Amino acid sequence: MKTYCLRTAPRFLFISVLLALLLVLAAGAGAVSPEGETVCIQCHGAQTGRLGAPVAAWRKSIHAANGISCHDCHGGDPTDMAMAMNPARGFLGAPKEGSIPGFCGRCHVGVKEDYLASAHGRALGRGGPHCVTCHGNHAVQKAAPDLINRKDCTRCHDYGRAEEIKSAVLDTDRNIAELTQSLTALHRTGIVTKDMDDELFALRNRFHRLFHNVDVERVRNQTAGFQGDLLKIRGRLAVIDAELKRRKLWGGVVVALLLIGGVVALLLHKSYKKEK
Amino acid sequence: MNVHSRRKFLSACLGVLGAVTAGVAAYPVFEYLSPRTSDREKGQVTIPRAQVGVGQAHFFQFHGHPAVVLQRAPGVFVALSAICTHLGCIIRWLPEKGEFLCPCHAGRYASDGKVLGGPPPKPLQTIPVALSGDNLLVG
Amino acid sequence: MGLGNKITDYLDARLGVRDILEQNLTRYLLPRNINAWYTLGAVLLTLFAVQFATGILLLVYYHPITDEAFQSVQRIMNDVPFGWLIRTVHAVGANVIVMALLLHMLSVLFMGSYKSPRELTWLAGFLLLLLSLGMCLTGYLLPWSQLSFWATTVATSSSRELPLIGDFVVRFLRGGAMVGQPTLGRFFALHVMGFPLLLGLLVLFHLFCVRRVGISRPPFGPDWRPMEPLAAFRHEEHPGGIPFFPHYVTKDAAIIAFFLALELWVVFFAPGLFFPPAAFEPADPFVTPAGIKPEWYFLWAYQTLKIFPSEFLGLAVQGTAVTLLLLLPFLDRSPERRPARRPLFVTAYILGIALFVAISVWGHFS
Repeated sequence: MKTYCLRTAPRFLFISVLLALLLVLAAGAGAVSPEGETVCIQCHGAQTGRLGAPVAAWRKSIHAANGISCHDCHGGDPTDMAMAMNPARGFLGAPKEGSIPGFCGRCHVGVKEDYLASAHGRALGRGGPHCVTCHGNHAVQKAAPDLINRKDCTRCHDYGRAEEIKSAVLDTDRNIAELTQSLTALHRTGIVTKDMDDELFALRNRFHRLFHNVDVERVRNQTAGFQGDLLKIRGRLAVIDAELKRRKLWGGVVVALLLIGGVVALLLHKSYKKEK
Repeated sequence: MNVHSRRKFLSACLGVLGAVTAGVAAYPVFEYLSPRTSDREKGQVTIPRAQVGVGQAHFFQFHGHPAVVLQRAPGVFVALSAICTHLGCIIRWLPEKGEFLCPCHAGRYASDGKVLGGPPPKPLQTIPVALSGDNLLVG
Repeated sequence: MGLGNKITDYLDARLGVRDILEQNLTRYLLPRNINAWYTLGAVLLTLFAVQFATGILLLVYYHPITDEAFQSVQRIMNDVPFGWLIRTVHAVGANVIVMALLLHMLSVLFMGSYKSPRELTWLAGFLLLLLSLGMCLTGYLLPWSQLSFWATTVATSSSRELPLIGDFVVRFLRGGAMVGQPTLGRFFALHVMGFPLLLGLLVLFHLFCVRRVGISRPPFGPDWRPMEPLAAFRHEEHPGGIPFFPHYVTKDAAIIAFFLALELWVVFFAPGLFFPPAAFEPADPFVTPAGIKPEWYFLWAYQTLKIFPSEFLGLAVQGTAVTLLLLLPFLDRSPERRPARRPLFVTAYILGIALFVAISVWGHFS
């Protein structure tokens, strides 16, 4: 026992502390905090069947993730159980098929315009698709190119033109997604990305409007314009990236200097230790 | 290499590394504290013509310093630095006398910046000014 | 070195500095078996100096007003040349200091250096730990981000369960019912002047105690024996030991360099390590973001409060643990310092570390 302590004890301490530190440095996930619930959710959430299904569906939607709830689309009073579904408080009920574009278009104005002018819009009420046909009504997800697919589009006609539109926009959509990710990563390091965030968000919305006119030529022509705008944003990102690389380079130099300095100091220390 | 010369060499190395690291650390601190010329301090300043009446003076910031633009006669504008050339106080415009007065030591300037009396050694610095439509472009 | 000698001669003739220099440098002898853990004090001094310097630099551009604080920090990070560097060093440095403090405390506990005659050194040191955590808590609020605001709200809420005075304490800490400008004002005053002043004085006292009593001999080796408590003051000598300068100073310098290298590595290559996303959103008193958690060094307290059904019990348990640690030299009076001969202590020590780590990890995932 005595010899054990001689030299190994400080090292034992070091190793145990190091292990403890490594444990602590494990990555993890966060927790979710509860949100205040509207009367709509309180009542419909407790129901089963047709009247309760929208709540679960909505919870998974992009609307829910952005704080858009029942009353934002259907109107009514989300705070007063008795008056919740009263037209006097603006309650609109569930829209009939012909009113659906106007219903969603209260917020998604540009999309509504393009849709109504398109072949799809002209076929509304006569077997043509409306917003809910492709996007669903409560479990609405973030718009993505896969909404254009063979299974859904061939319900009414052949896939040819839909496929052409999809391939024309796929590339740009991927670009936008990549840029969004890059901007988020930058924001996480403290860099102010608000201007570029706003520009990209507007660009994405303008771009997603584009699909709804189902006009292949127009989509192709405008895509080139979008690619140009994206390239400009990419250019600005590239400047920032270059600066970040420069910082890393200098950082590497300084860290190396310190490590070498530490080693030199240790060697110096050892040279003194030699004379006992 | 004997111990002594090794120690000297290592000490010298440490000294050099220390000095280099100190330099590399000092440069960012110096830059961090150095005042930058913001965009506001460069370029032209635009003033709506309506802000400068006949025989009236309008004070504004030009390149980080107080300046004044004056309509000496209808359509005749002059822009001057508002800093007294004596000891740096800011001059005032006296419309009833048609001259500038420095409140610190009573230096007096004419409406074109020339010294009329008092301690100022030089006239007020002029700044180019041009009329462009309804605006005055200073600088 | 002719100039150096001339200056020393000038000062020596007037102040007798040669004597002081020799006593504290070349003729200040340390035990032969001194180990690297003893450098942590110097490491901490250096790290605190870096915090002090970067803190003063940040003060040049920071605005301690709720409407301007977040933007002023954004300006430092984006517009001021090398502002990102100063800010990140300051933020990362705080975490490295807490790590070094814990390591320093762990080695002191393991080697029993808190025992007589070093009880006062331990008291000062433990208070320094508490003050440093106070610096971390007050500093955290200053950027006025979502993280700052809500972490401070949670931290100040914890006092609510103190019996009788709970609500008053919370109001007093916050300067009002909710975290707001009064909170920012007092946290800023404490962070910039109040705590640093106390820290400075305590550090001086701590160093004085260390130097006056003498460096403890590591309790390892075949000929180490416990010392009986002293009846009268005696400085612990180490005849035949190694001189502080240049022998141990070079070791100090090396470990300091490695710690700084670690800190700067994080600053340049993993700057987001201590910044969750909520740190980059401006504070919104009406929206609590999901998953707000305190920094890693407070997770143990956070999770302890969550475990106990009564928050007061949770507070009491924490308070007891901290008090026990603070008064350790008065509770553990045996002069034995060799770990092998303190099985009870070493077991409690290892269990304590394991518990701290386990509760912190649990707090991170919960």
